[in-house]
Amino acid sequence: MITLGDYLTVSGILFVIGFAGVLLRRNILIIFMALELMLNAANLSLVAFSRFRLGTNGMPDYNAQVLVFFIITVAAAEVAVGLAIIVALFRTRHTTHVEDISALKF
Amino acid sequence: MSFLPWIALLAPLAASAVIVLFAQRARGLSAFISVTAVLVSFVCSCLIFVNRRIAAPEIPWIEFPGILRAPIAFTLDQLSRTMLVVVSGVGALIHIYSLGYMRDDAGKSRYFAGLSFFMFAMLGIVLANNFVMMFIFWELVGVSSYLLIGHWFERDAAADAANKAFITNRIGDFGFMLGILMVWAATGSVIFEDIIPQLWRFTSNPAFLTISVLLIFCGAVGKSAQFPLHVWLPDAMEGPTPISALIHAATMVAAGVYMLVRVGFLVQASPDALRVIAWIGTITAVMAALIATQQDDIKRILAYSTLSQLGYMIMAVGLASSEAAMFHLFTHAFFKALLFLGAGAVIIALHHEQNIWKMGGQGRNLFLTFVTFGTGALALIGCPPFSGFFSKDAILALAYNRNGAIFAFALFTAFLTAFYMLRLLVVVFFGRPRSPIAQSSSEAPTSMLAPLFVLALLTLLGGFNFFAGRFLVIPREREMAVLVPALALLAMLAGAGIAIFVYRGCTTDPISVRALRKKLYVDEFYAWLIDNTQELLARISAFIDRWLIDVGIIRGASGGTWGFGALLRLMQVGNLQAYAFIFGLGIIWAIYFAVFR
Amino acid sequence: MILLITFAPIIAAVMIMLGLPARITAFVGSVLTLLLTMLEYFRFNSNAHGFQDIHTFPISGDLGLNFSLGIDGLSIVMLLLAAIILLAAVWFTGEVKHHENEFYACLLFIAGGAIGAFASLDLFFFYAFHELALIPTFLLIGIWGSGNRRAAAWKVTIYLALGSFILLIGLIMLYRAVPAPARTLDLRALQAAASAGQIAPAAQSPIYLLLLAGFGTLISLVPFHTWAPEAYASAPAPAAMLHAGVLKKFGLYGLLRIALPMLPDAARQWSNLLLVLLLANIIYIGLVTIAQRRLDWMLGYSSVMHMGYIFLGIASANLLGATGAAILMFAHGLSIALLFGITGEVRKRVRSLDFDALGGLAKYMPICAFLFGLGAFAAIGLPGFANFAAEIMVLFGAFRNGFDYAHFHAFQWATVLALWGVVISAVYMLRAYRRVFFGSANEGELVATDLNSNVRLPAAMLVAVSIFFGFFPQTLVQTISPAFRNYFAAEK
Repeated sequence: MITLGDYLTVSGILFVIGFAGVLLRRNILIIFMALELMLNAANLSLVAFSRFRLGTNGMPDYNAQVLVFFIITVAAAEVAVGLAIIVALFRTRHTTHVEDISALKF
Repeated sequence: MSFLPWIALLAPLAASAVIVLFAQRARGLSAFISVTAVLVSFVCSCLIFVNRRIAAPEIPWIEFPGILRAPIAFTLDQLSRTMLVVVSGVGALIHIYSLGYMRDDAGKSRYFAGLSFFMFAMLGIVLANNFVMMFIFWELVGVSSYLLIGHWFERDAAADAANKAFITNRIGDFGFMLGILMVWAATGSVIFEDIIPQLWRFTSNPAFLTISVLLIFCGAVGKSAQFPLHVWLPDAMEGPTPISALIHAATMVAAGVYMLVRVGFLVQASPDALRVIAWIGTITAVMAALIATQQDDIKRILAYSTLSQLGYMIMAVGLASSEAAMFHLFTHAFFKALLFLGAGAVIIALHHEQNIWKMGGQGRNLFLTFVTFGTGALALIGCPPFSGFFSKDAILALAYNRNGAIFAFALFTAFLTAFYMLRLLVVVFFGRPRSPIAQSSSEAPTSMLAPLFVLALLTLLGGFNFFAGRFLVIPREREMAVLVPALALLAMLAGAGIAIFVYRGCTTDPISVRALRKKLYVDEFYAWLIDNTQELLARISAFIDRWLIDVGIIRGASGGTWGFGALLRLMQVGNLQAYAFIFGLGIIWAIYFAVFR
Repeated sequence: MILLITFAPIIAAVMIMLGLPARITAFVGSVLTLLLTMLEYFRFNSNAHGFQDIHTFPISGDLGLNFSLGIDGLSIVMLLLAAIILLAAVWFTGEVKHHENEFYACLLFIAGGAIGAFASLDLFFFYAFHELALIPTFLLIGIWGSGNRRAAAWKVTIYLALGSFILLIGLIMLYRAVPAPARTLDLRALQAAASAGQIAPAAQSPIYLLLLAGFGTLISLVPFHTWAPEAYASAPAPAAMLHAGVLKKFGLYGLLRIALPMLPDAARQWSNLLLVLLLANIIYIGLVTIAQRRLDWMLGYSSVMHMGYIFLGIASANLLGATGAAILMFAHGLSIALLFGITGEVRKRVRSLDFDALGGLAKYMPICAFLFGLGAFAAIGLPGFANFAAEIMVLFGAFRNGFDYAHFHAFQWATVLALWGVVISAVYMLRAYRRVFFGSANEGELVATDLNSNVRLPAAMLVAVSIFFGFFPQTLVQTISPAFRNYFAAEK
């Protein structure tokens, strides 16, 4: 029997992988993918919550699933904008490595 | 009639204001305005003197009901009426004399404006009926003296002397004001008449009274140039000679004596204070006479003799005789003004040469000056029947009766006075001319000589009862001692004789006492003292302010802020992933607190 | 009427910003302000109690916030001072090298802010008007200043902003010290509450100290004074005139209006602290002034020093002392404005204001020397000028505080030292005068020309006012003292 805990564990592992990718990888495209992974980890836990939190009529709580669709949509938009920014960055800096992008440092 | 005192007081002020505002360029006109104003004052003073019932309206200056009342109001008693006539009379003569003396001076308008302003201030002191008003005019004479000493301001010596005079007077006024505050706090009034009935408040606190009186005396020490604040008066001779005659001999320096006499009721209530005052006067008299014997500048000799004579007056005040002090003030005003004006005539004749060793033989060239100057000199050394004999004798007799030690010093001073005056006379007027200018000198113009003769006449009459008695209460001690006039004459003859014997035919000074030439090193001592107290403190304070407070604390605070900011800036590594890492840590921290606490 | 006076300079400033010819508009505006103020002064009834000519516009009922203006004896004299100095400063302004319109607008804003603060009956606007005046001060020093003007501008601004901030905390605490139902920003109501004892003595102490530090910074009380000489040395002369002459008096006005009457217990409790600080102002700053080697710095420090006498009057907390302090504020404003104005003219004509580089100016600029001399003598308290009359009242008031025959207490010793300060001020002022104007002239000054009538007339106006009130200080006493009589009624 697969419990809510198992789903959440998988979701947590995915999230940690994504977060580690954001922190540790140097290629900005990979970081971007890791970011998407973190979003999907959240999606997974949301769907799991929806499935395991049944209402009084025995139906799942669809609010969470609506939120998931919302996230997927926004993520698609974000990918479009994010990739556009990365392309623009690559054009000006000729790099996809984050060490080379440190204009915030004084 | 009741406005006469106001006219007498304000005419010179008006003249001064008109000259400053409208007649800066018109030099002749400003001289005319100034002389007219002083003559108006003199006439008014004479009318006030004759008419004893005049009372003037007063105006409130500062008035806090029940707390402080300081009006501008006049005292019109025998004392102030006499002073009024003396001040405006001598002042008028010196105005006229100045017409000649300052004839070609570029700053003539400024000079006459200052002179008129001085007349205003001095008459204010004479008329004052309360301490605050007296202090007001006291300071105003100080500033007019400053302006007139510094008349030739391009000369460094004159500019320095002006500053020295003002600041030294301010030190005296520091004590004066404090004394006024103490008397006011104790009696609740600054008006002389209202203080008298409150004097009983002091009976339980004699020390308080003594300190108050001594502090008030400080004002007189400054203004009348008594030891230890005497240093400004000799330097004040850098001013034009008529100024030396009017301000620094006849009137302003006597203001200290006048003030002490005016508040005599207060001064004489404290025997301890009287003793101090008498000794300060004695020290000044002897010390100044000693220094005068070794000076070479004709005006400085007279300046030191002024100091010495003021010492006599203060001595008389200290011996509790206002009458003797006022009598000597009265005669001294005439003969010292005469001496200075005579000296001025000599100086003009010699084209501003003031060193007596470059003069000589002027008795022949400047005969009229010599006669008048000689009259003044004889009065000064106390030769009968000139006025100085009577007044000085009054003080000597007083000292003889009250205090033997002071009498001895006073007698010694009389001896020294005769010595240095005869030295001056012999060196300047006798012998052979010792410089080319001295050979070709000629008599000063009439406007200068006329005042000399008037003053000489007053010097001749000033001591006799029939003349002086109209103005003053002649002190009684004179009749009591027979021995004193004899001793005084003896001292005078001895001093005069020795001087004639030593200085006859000399071309340089045969006696040279370094300490006396250097004025007993008082100036040097003060310079050292100021350098090691005030200047040192000023430098230390400036250092503290600049480096400790401003740079240390203020810039330190702003620097600290900058430094802290720089430290915080180190955290901005600029790496996005590092920020994300810190962000993650923050999230974990937040979850920990939200869930597990 | 009082509304017109308050807004006349501000309206003039706005009109200048909109493009009207600067000098003429500023001149007309300040003349108008002065005329209105004089009219108000003559209309002022010194026998009536409390404030007069009150105008109130409610703004927020919850906070008890009203825009309300009115005058009493103290504020009408301050208004008169502000109007006179404004006119003098505008008149003194010669050629402005760039941004002439903005320069005049700034001057008018300073005066408008000061006037508004003096006339406000409401704590909020009292504070806000003063802040309004600080901004143009910063601009004037930073843009049109001389020397190290940027640093001076930042220093003075941060300093004064910090002082205002401390002051604001104190004012908020004062607002909250009154029991909740009676809370108000209205000065009259606050005063009534304070007189009724609604501010507990224990609560007064921190408020008083905050107000003292806040106002003290604005007035350059030692040790919060180091902005003053630097700012005045860098500021253009008209700005220095307005700031030292008028705006600085805001802090003193606040002490007289708020700290002293509303917090009497704390004022008594901390009077020894205030005495120590004000003696530092007089003696220590006096000595620092002696050691100065530049004319503008010397004047800046001397203005800091003279604040000590005003503080002495405030500290003595009696009718005589407080009235003297108020008159000294007026008199000091006139004399320091005159001195800064003429120093500005000297600065234009010589290469340096170092004493070593100057000398003998009196020969080439006799009128300048004469006017500066009058200002200098006024500043050191020569009789005949209003400063002397005020100092007399301050000294008498201070000496009287706690007097007894047997011993001198704190106030008596303070008076002694303050009197010595009079000697010190004579030393530095006359020395400076001698170094600058007397003696032989240096080369390079031969071209120095004397003042023209654009400077002579306003200077003469300042001198004339000072001399008039020096001869008749009783007119000011009669106007001002009723304002204090209620506060000090209990004193005997």
